[in-house]
Amino acid sequence: MRETRVGGVPFARLGPDACARVHEAALGILERTGARLMEPRAVTLLASAGARVDGDHVWIPRELVARALATAPRSVTLYDRTGRPAIGLAGHTFWAGPGSDCLHILDHRTGERRTPTLADLREGIALVDALPDLDFVMSLFIPGDVDGRLADRHQMAAMLEGTTKPIVMVSYEPSGMEDGIEMAEIVAGGPDALRARPFVATYINVTRALLQGESELRKLLWLAERGYPFLWIPVTSGGTTGPVTVAGTLALNTAGVLIGVVLSQLVREGAPIILPGFGGDGLDLRTMVDPYAAPDARGPAAALAHWYGLPMFSLAGGSDGKVVDGQSAAEAALTLLVDAASGGQLTHDCGYLESGLTGSLAQMAICDEIVAWIRTATAPIDVSDAALALDDIDRLGVEGSFLETDHTLDRYRERWYPAVFERGTVESWVAKGSSTLAQRAAQRVDALLAAHQPTPLQPDVAAAIRAVVERAEATAGL
Amino acid sequence: MHEELLAAMRASIVDGDQDAAAETARQAVAEGMDPLVAIDDGYVSGLSHVGACFSAGDMFLPDMMLAARAMKAAMAVLEPELAARSAQRRVRGRVVIGTVKGDIHEIGKNLVGMMLSASGFEVHDLGVDVPVDRFIEAAREHRADIVGVSALLTTTMTGQRAVVEGLAAAGLRPGVKVIVGGAPVTRAWAAEIGADGYSEDAMGAVALATRLMDGADAPASVG
Repeated sequence: MRETRVGGVPFARLGPDACARVHEAALGILERTGARLMEPRAVTLLASAGARVDGDHVWIPRELVARALATAPRSVTLYDRTGRPAIGLAGHTFWAGPGSDCLHILDHRTGERRTPTLADLREGIALVDALPDLDFVMSLFIPGDVDGRLADRHQMAAMLEGTTKPIVMVSYEPSGMEDGIEMAEIVAGGPDALRARPFVATYINVTRALLQGESELRKLLWLAERGYPFLWIPVTSGGTTGPVTVAGTLALNTAGVLIGVVLSQLVREGAPIILPGFGGDGLDLRTMVDPYAAPDARGPAAALAHWYGLPMFSLAGGSDGKVVDGQSAAEAALTLLVDAASGGQLTHDCGYLESGLTGSLAQMAICDEIVAWIRTATAPIDVSDAALALDDIDRLGVEGSFLETDHTLDRYRERWYPAVFERGTVESWVAKGSSTLAQRAAQRVDALLAAHQPTPLQPDVAAAIRAVVERAEATAGL
Repeated sequence: MHEELLAAMRASIVDGDQDAAAETARQAVAEGMDPLVAIDDGYVSGLSHVGACFSAGDMFLPDMMLAARAMKAAMAVLEPELAARSAQRRVRGRVVIGTVKGDIHEIGKNLVGMMLSASGFEVHDLGVDVPVDRFIEAAREHRADIVGVSALLTTTMTGQRAVVEGLAAAGLRPGVKVIVGGAPVTRAWAAEIGADGYSEDAMGAVALATRLMDGADAPASVG
């Protein structure tokens, strides 16, 4: 597993006292306002644990929350497709990956914004596999050339076939999730093997903090029963579905998060649930767009997840800009830096433009570069004797050149060098075509795709995965 | 007939592997290979590759240092053999180099000297903080074809103009060519002060010096 611990003093937007206030507010919301849960099994579970229930409306006492917080696992390890530990979700760590389900692709070759295809999806996944500083994969695009109801199966098959990196899986209906997990079980060698070394975490989007739909609750119950890790992500939007303030929306959203924690632990003590490291966001009330790179709520949810001591899934690297330009690079850099400094752990949305509606492979390559930069800029500094090199300094004296020393020749590659950022002289830059960042990023995408060959699945495993997709197609009458 | 060995020689330089460089040189001696062929078609060819990769941004400066080290290891084996055969590397040109008065930067200048020397030029390095008179004196003494003047600071680069003018006043121009380099130096600056060429890096300096030696009509600059 790579070293991704953030060195120095980590950034905490919310201190312990403030976290305690938000938590107390969320407990009060669950006790006074309660929530409506659209899946009867969830309501029954809570009722038998002591919650007050009226129809689908539940009020959850704080004792239930405290008990659940005590048994939820404090770390989750995600493995790669081959069963090696790849991502450790605990403490001040930072792991980066793309987002899922963009409706459009900004074609890095033509500059055209268009509907993505399955071929685009496969290419994007190969790129994630090749980019050295992206740690996990998500589904990137909704391919427009497959039946929309089954796009999630095609996405999962493409991810399993195209990368060995851990997968964060998004599905539509519970049946899509079950098919996706079945594919993962086939690759792992059965449910027990997948449970022992999970390389898939399932993303569950929750309608509203206090209004939770049947589909998402069924997914939670199904995954918690089996002990598979999942992300429980209620959506609360300041100014519309929550108070306009960061604190108010964060408290309300946290109430929705805690419902998931309670349910998961009632189903199975120790079921691995991953909290959002984002929350407290608001709509842009001028444009009614949901911004991905707003600074207002950046950091507090991550601080709160650390305060709970539970693993988290964060959001950074996306831009509200429409093209790969100064805004997109700046927003990616700023959001990734704050999330890394906050110890945002599993951090998605590298490569997003247009507030999550459009995906760009060039933007993803820039994000990879930014992540590498941040990792270097936040890594602990080695101050060992070997690193201090006092022997060389003594020997070479005041005028010495360190260029020819064995120390330099042995260790010069420890320094970070950019792959897309330009550092040459203006003459060499002009000689190479006076390229912009966006052009160099697009060139890097093509160079990586030309050189990279993802490790294929065994033919029988690949065939079994195809069979799951085909079965879903037959069931849908295709 | 020695293609395989020549390839191994080139590889030893590209890999910066001193041991392999010395070993392939010993093998060349044992097999009776002409040491000049080993140098030019083997090691120097590898060094040119490293220099080109460095210029393109695909290799690092320390890679070049490692390559030069390996080159030195090979030469240490081949030089006695050259002497035994009374053969000599063809001197491609005599170069006097130094950093201008008031400037004590030397790393870039040393690199240029190292690459020129490895490429078959006879290099006389005057060091740093070199007064104009010293450049003139050395150019005379060594019958220099080329004087290379380095300056790392915008405040010291005017010293390059003084060297060009000093050589002219001493009656050595245009016979002695002047090439200039250093971080603030540009092609436009070289043209302005009447220098014969400018290069951005050490590999370019070798190409520039070669071109200047090949004919009086050589282009005024490369880069």
